[in-house]
Amino acid sequence: MGFWSRLKRIFRAEQYNSEIEEELQYHLAMKQQDGYDPRAARVQFGSLAKFKEEARSEGVLPWLESGLRDVRYALRQMRKAPLFTVLLVLSLALGIGANTAIFSLVDAALLEPLPVPAPQSLRIVAWVNHGFPEELCRLLTGYAKGDRHRMVGSPVAVRIYRELARQQYGFASLIGFSDSEMAAVALRDRPAEQFRIQYVSPNFFAGLRAPLQLGRPFSVSEDREGQPPLIILSNRFWRKEFAGRPDVLGQVLRVNNVPVQIVGVARAGFFGLQIGEWVDLYAPLAADAVLNPQAKLNPDFSHTDRHWWVSMMARPKAGVSQNQAIQALAVLFQRLVVPPGLKIEADKIPKLMAIPGQHGVDPIRPDESRALWIVFLLVGLILLIVCANVANLLLSRAVTRQRESAVCLALGAARHRLFRQYLTESLLLASFGGVAGLFLSFLFANALHSLIRQDMGIGGFDLHINAQILGFTCLASLTTAVLCGVAPAWMLARASVHDALKASSRTVLTGRLRLPRLLVIAQVALSFTVLVAAGLLARSLANLRNVDVGFNRANLVYASVNPWSAGYQPEQVNGYVEGLRRGLAAIPGVLRVATVEERPLSGDRNATWVNIPGRPFSLADTALVNHVGDGFFETLGVPVIAGRTFSPADLNKNSDAVVVNELFACRFYGSRNPLGEQFGTGPHPTTRYRIIGVVQNSRHYSLREPDGPAIFWPYNAGSRPGWRVSFVLRTALSTGQLTHAFRQVARKTDPAVPVIAIETQTQLIDSRVRSERLLSIFATAFGTLAMVLSAIGLLGLFAYMVARRTNEIGVRMALGAGRGSIASMVLRDAFALLLAGVAAGIPGALWMGRILKHTLFHLSPTDPVIGLLTVAIMMCVAALSSWIPASRAARVDPMLALREE
Amino acid sequence: MPKADHLQGALELLILKALLRGKNSGYAIATLIEQASDDVLRVEEGSLYPALHRLTEAGLLKAEWRISESGRRARFYELTSGGRKRLAETEERWKSVTAAVAKVLRTV
Repeated sequence: MGFWSRLKRIFRAEQYNSEIEEELQYHLAMKQQDGYDPRAARVQFGSLAKFKEEARSEGVLPWLESGLRDVRYALRQMRKAPLFTVLLVLSLALGIGANTAIFSLVDAALLEPLPVPAPQSLRIVAWVNHGFPEELCRLLTGYAKGDRHRMVGSPVAVRIYRELARQQYGFASLIGFSDSEMAAVALRDRPAEQFRIQYVSPNFFAGLRAPLQLGRPFSVSEDREGQPPLIILSNRFWRKEFAGRPDVLGQVLRVNNVPVQIVGVARAGFFGLQIGEWVDLYAPLAADAVLNPQAKLNPDFSHTDRHWWVSMMARPKAGVSQNQAIQALAVLFQRLVVPPGLKIEADKIPKLMAIPGQHGVDPIRPDESRALWIVFLLVGLILLIVCANVANLLLSRAVTRQRESAVCLALGAARHRLFRQYLTESLLLASFGGVAGLFLSFLFANALHSLIRQDMGIGGFDLHINAQILGFTCLASLTTAVLCGVAPAWMLARASVHDALKASSRTVLTGRLRLPRLLVIAQVALSFTVLVAAGLLARSLANLRNVDVGFNRANLVYASVNPWSAGYQPEQVNGYVEGLRRGLAAIPGVLRVATVEERPLSGDRNATWVNIPGRPFSLADTALVNHVGDGFFETLGVPVIAGRTFSPADLNKNSDAVVVNELFACRFYGSRNPLGEQFGTGPHPTTRYRIIGVVQNSRHYSLREPDGPAIFWPYNAGSRPGWRVSFVLRTALSTGQLTHAFRQVARKTDPAVPVIAIETQTQLIDSRVRSERLLSIFATAFGTLAMVLSAIGLLGLFAYMVARRTNEIGVRMALGAGRGSIASMVLRDAFALLLAGVAAGIPGALWMGRILKHTLFHLSPTDPVIGLLTVAIMMCVAALSSWIPASRAARVDPMLALREE
Repeated sequence: MPKADHLQGALELLILKALLRGKNSGYAIATLIEQASDDVLRVEEGSLYPALHRLTEAGLLKAEWRISESGRRARFYELTSGGRKRLAETEERWKSVTAAVAKVLRTV
């Protein structure tokens, strides 16, 4: 018989059986015909079933067939106990689903490289310098980090980049790109909306090996100053705004009020070079001078050799080592970067180097990646709790089935078959859990994604469930099955037939239920760890949010517009700003309004070096700076300590008036009166500023630590071409009402000016603490989940224990024990378990505290209040979950219980 | 009455031998063996049919459903060429083994 006929036989067992049946019937009939007594014949014939079994075991694929039978049997068992099955699959699905969702997020944010072929060969071409290369470059935007000792940056001037790209030979292609930034984009006649734009070199898409889906890349001749700007759309933008229509090429968009023609669409899944940000539009580097209002209004600003804003990435050519390629480039760079005629020491010229670029530029913030890893750790703990829970449920059930297995053994079932049967059951449960978990993980991942995009303000990842994640889920569910299936299966298969059949009330598992108790203790310990982490993070977040910022943050709203996008010139803009300010002040319910450059606690900051006459200049003397309009301090409610704040007269361009904070006065003037004192900024000050007032310290940049010295200059929109104009409003209106009123006034003042953002101070603060919030939200969710799972575990254990001890309880009652004492016996037991679990969880909680140490704000990782509070919450949960079994124990009828024996 | 399958391989040998004369049903094979041994050997159905299926799967027998003399449907077994070869080998070995056993019983 061939393989297929055997296989067919297994799946057509029905037909096969009936054939055997017929053959045997024939045999029997012939025997009868030959004069055998039919009864004797039948007895002699023996067991039909035995024959069938034997005939079947002849197959070469018995494992497959018996496997199928195991599965069928397991399915029957599940149908017999639907609640058990649902609880089990649900807890597995929750554990696996949460794990997969979090893993997809961690994968997309931290592990996954850029969505281009061979990302590991990508290099960021960067320079390293001792401090800011101030002799060569005046302004730096783009990928740069470091301090005044060692600074690493990628950007160079656009001309230097173009020369490097043209002359270099060590790399396959050297691509250049700007930071992405927001721009007002208008489609057809719709009002402008904010989208992310990036200026890129012509070889950008080819160099990344991310060919366009539609259209063509920019040509080198199109990337020249004076050429009409062109645009390539991201696939996401194309699908969202143009419904994926192919006739989009050649259409015209307005970017910052400049018409641009669409020449291409990037391929699906390509989000740019920064993980967490999705670039919507790509324009040639040269278009920056036309589209970017800042560059447009400051022609000497961005396209000179002293403004470095083009970052570089490359892939070494095949056969050329990274070092050779970068050395060759460094020689060119040295020659290009020093302008002719400038004498500069060799060690002040930045040195080139290559940084691995597979994760793109400026990957996710370190505090955010730490938050993600902590979330991953917490969700891993949840999976452990789920495992303990599932094992416990399986174990409790195994005990109720020990008679069944003893009967099987007595009837001659092989122990390894029995072991396999139980293993099959748990594998089946795990695969159900895995499938349900995968389904849940899609839901979770989508919810997470929208939470992160809308609430946390990150532009979004290319979040998807990939094969790696699928593998992770399968591994997780299989491990769970093996972990949870082996222990009960082992016990059952080991069950002594004799003991099990002897008396129904005896159990094979030794009387004290050691393993289930240990599992519950482990569960409680893990839940305690997760809950303590949740408590610490929630309290730390509350501390951070409620930190005294030095002004009243309630009912404070910031609204920003960008008149430059509508084509305003510096000499016109102040009139517009003043008109808008008057309109806003006239809104009923707006108490005060003022202009401000950087909104306090928005995460943006400027700083400068302070140069006080009579005090040696030091790079350590830094101060935060901001530009504020008249009425700013009054609107915020920052008290004036000495002198006065700005009057409208101070806001003209030639004013030398500044206001400083108390820390500034203390640090630089000590006990002297700072009013009327003058100071400059930078090593060679050209302008002197005169202090007209001192205000109380308030937080404008960091929530975690005081700002240090701060300088406030009078705000003049006309001197900041291209920058957004922000208003701060103290209002009695709701945010919704104010938003509506603001948009109306803005439209009335000039409908062409786009409204960029309207945010409350609380929203700004919340976005400052977004990684802390992310952590706290997850930790609280996981803490709740852990608690629910442990409650199920406790409930399961005690329900089972009470059922098992019915006889004992009956005897106790017969001997005079009261119902109250029976119930309290169960509760006492529950609390003993809980305390043991908490004690076992303390090292875990301490370890968690150590991990969280750097994340916590004004809170000790061993905060006793949180520990005690957690214990109290868990006591309540334990009391609740053991209450049902306890009251059932108290209701045991001693007569019934004893009769059962 | 000893069972034919007490002697290892004996039942298979007897089945193959019983089929040498042509195709037959399981019942006829059992009857043939019992009659030929003067009812000394009794073939148990619980051994006969598994052995028949084993031999069929090993390719030594061929099975098909036919109408028997009694007019009922029965499964008839038939030797394949492999079965004939196997029969010759086993018979040879069996004879030498029984001869050896008989010799031991005689001399010791």
